[in-house]
Amino acid sequence: MVTRRATVVGTDPDVDLGVKLCGILLATPLIPAAGTLAKETLGEVKGVYGAMLPKTVTPRPRAGNPPPRVAEVSSGMINSIGLQNPGLDRFLENLTDYDVGLPLFVSVAADTVGEFVAMCERFAGEERVSAVELNLSCPNVEHGGLQFCAGPGTVREVVAACRVPLSGKPLFAKLTNEGVVNNAVAAEEAGADAVTLINTIPALVLDPRERQVSLRGGLSGPAIKPIALRAVYEVSQVVGVPVIGVGGVTSGTDVAEFMLAGAAAVQVGSGSFVREPQEMLEEFAAYLRKNGLRARDLADALTER
Amino acid sequence: MKLHTVEVLQRERFGDHALLRYRWTGSPPEPGQFVMARVASSTSPTRSLDPFLPRPLFAHDYDGEAMRLLFEIRGRGTALLAGEGTELLVSDPLGRGYTIDGGPVALVGGGVWVSPLKLLARHLARSGVAHDVYLEIPAAAPEAYAAWISGSYPDATLVPTGGASDASRAVLESIGDLSRYAGLYASGPAPMLDAVKRVSRDTIPSQLAVRERMACANGSCYGCAVPVWEAGERAYTRACVEGPVFPGEVLAW
Repeated sequence: MVTRRATVVGTDPDVDLGVKLCGILLATPLIPAAGTLAKETLGEVKGVYGAMLPKTVTPRPRAGNPPPRVAEVSSGMINSIGLQNPGLDRFLENLTDYDVGLPLFVSVAADTVGEFVAMCERFAGEERVSAVELNLSCPNVEHGGLQFCAGPGTVREVVAACRVPLSGKPLFAKLTNEGVVNNAVAAEEAGADAVTLINTIPALVLDPRERQVSLRGGLSGPAIKPIALRAVYEVSQVVGVPVIGVGGVTSGTDVAEFMLAGAAAVQVGSGSFVREPQEMLEEFAAYLRKNGLRARDLADALTER
Repeated sequence: MKLHTVEVLQRERFGDHALLRYRWTGSPPEPGQFVMARVASSTSPTRSLDPFLPRPLFAHDYDGEAMRLLFEIRGRGTALLAGEGTELLVSDPLGRGYTIDGGPVALVGGGVWVSPLKLLARHLARSGVAHDVYLEIPAAAPEAYAAWISGSYPDATLVPTGGASDASRAVLESIGDLSRYAGLYASGPAPMLDAVKRVSRDTIPSQLAVRERMACANGSCYGCAVPVWEAGERAYTRACVEGPVFPGEVLAW
């Protein structure tokens, strides 16, 4: 396999950071997790990421949830943003904003299978878009508001339906931790080209002084890393498609751990709020150099104990 | 988020409030801008990730060499910042601050939110804009804090108030006739900002500094939502990049 030698700012040129994901060459294995990298900051992260992944887009504009939307917890944070976004039409009008010389992946969410399919149809003919990630942690209004990834049945249904219009583009299914192994198998059987594991974990913060719920939302950050790592490891054992690891990555060692667990690429989310992804990449490069490994070798580098 | 390691020069405590001074040679803060700050870990080569997020704190003052942050100790993050340690991790000054136009103007502040008004007053003085400062001092505030505020804002009119509920009214009443001002700059609790917004509506331009919880502080996460009017519709915008200072008429409270 010929892989492009990555030229990445600030890292050792002798270290090969390149990986291949569903036939797409990525100069580094890092991808921003959906909803954690604003257009305004794209300039600051040149040479750090292997692909661009903007905030989840929905068929129509969404105002998002009323504040407060974030809360701090031990070694992590909870967010309840409500998928605030300008909607598909505006997103497509401004797609060139994401032209930063990297493969562009898009994250999509919708209320129904039909709407997921309609969005995939719009992206199917969009040359700028290299892959589509289905955000399956949104409520399925046709199934009483249960998340699409609540069980293998709906995962299979939505992935199979989106597979049809996206015949020429890689399709990723982003799953939550609960039932992740069965859901990942269902996604693969329905035609997903990769699975992204894991989304934030449902969580809650209480205010004992006011005796009320402060925030209910998704937990991210280092608190969930071991959970995400287990999901990536176990799913990698049973599916043949690539796994994209995400959850609590805050260092280059974390990136290496996810890849050793079986991830072909790694998304960085709330970790980028507290550290620079550039630093994480430099640490990852140092790890590879010290161990005489290339990034793409890590998935097979785990030794049995 | 890029955080710089800086040297702590001084810490002071006034009851639940803390003043932190650190050496700053980066870009100077505009009044109304904020920084993200967290303690540096002495034991880890990187940093402790608990607490996870840095805290957004208004730039209180900057003299060309040292930055001052004035904040309320509310939880673990701020308690650690007010605690010990010779180093600190801080971001560049962030966000959109106050715009300085013509005078005379009134600066209206309450509680710990008076913080950004010090740097604003400094810039107004430098620009030759006449300004008066009106600050609420809650009755419950520690004496040391009240003393420090009166020392820090020597020309300010200090308005003692019984609590948050009447604070905005009391401060606005102390100003009297607003029509002698070309603009109102406010930083205070939500009821005070709301009151300033109401009295200034259609007559005097106001600029209000809002305070929101933040995570990324660079526009990525949409965590610091502020309701605003956009083309006649209520929508959420981001305090970190569109604010934290907003024209009063834009805020849709």
